[in-house]
Amino acid sequence: MGVVGWLILVVIVVAVAVVAFLAIRRRRRGGGVIATKDKR
Amino acid sequence: MRLLMTATQIRGLPVVTVRGGEDVAEVRDVIYSPGAGRLVGLTLNKRGFFAGRSRDVLSAEAIHAVGQHAVMVLDESSIVTPEDASDEVGHPATERNVLGDDVLTEGGSSLGKVADLVLLVGSSGEVVGYQIDKAGGGRGYIPLPAQLSVSGDALVVPNITEEFVQDDLVGLGASVDEFRARLGLS
Repeated sequence: MGVVGWLILVVIVVAVAVVAFLAIRRRRRGGGVIATKDKR
Repeated sequence: MRLLMTATQIRGLPVVTVRGGEDVAEVRDVIYSPGAGRLVGLTLNKRGFFAGRSRDVLSAEAIHAVGQHAVMVLDESSIVTPEDASDEVGHPATERNVLGDDVLTEGGSSLGKVADLVLLVGSSGEVVGYQIDKAGGGRGYIPLPAQLSVSGDALVVPNITEEFVQDDLVGLGASVDEFRARLGLS
């Protein structure tokens, strides 16, 4: 594999990593309904 | 204007300033007090499809109004860092997420699982009950009793709650006062 082939591979790997990172970030946005611990 | 909304409808709403009309954040968690039956605050996400969580939070007192399409605040100063908010809003107990909790009566009968929280919103946020996935199938609504015990695992309700499971939100609104009267709370 030549230099161009390696470059293409690196670009693909970086692109996949960025998309995965953004997708995980997006997933972490999901929230919930939280009950406070009431003091009695 | 006051309207009934579920917590799921509030989650994801944009937070917009009244003074500038700016869209400054998005709602992530809804934090409520089961004892007081009121909204306590909101945690936030940054705006933008891929944007992540925001550290900042919004206390219920700083909310101008909650509507169908947005949560309104006066200006950006309403949104504060966790250190400047009360502990229950600044550092919410995420393990006490009630979605999916088993709904159990004091007698040990299962009524189903918590699907959502129902709030009466407008200029303030009052919790009126829970939407549940009934044990026998289908959706139902139960009014919020004051002496409810809640954790991240189960919601324990008085035995008479079983009689007050409603099939729709209209029925829930009508049953809240009667339910509280039966419990001797009003």
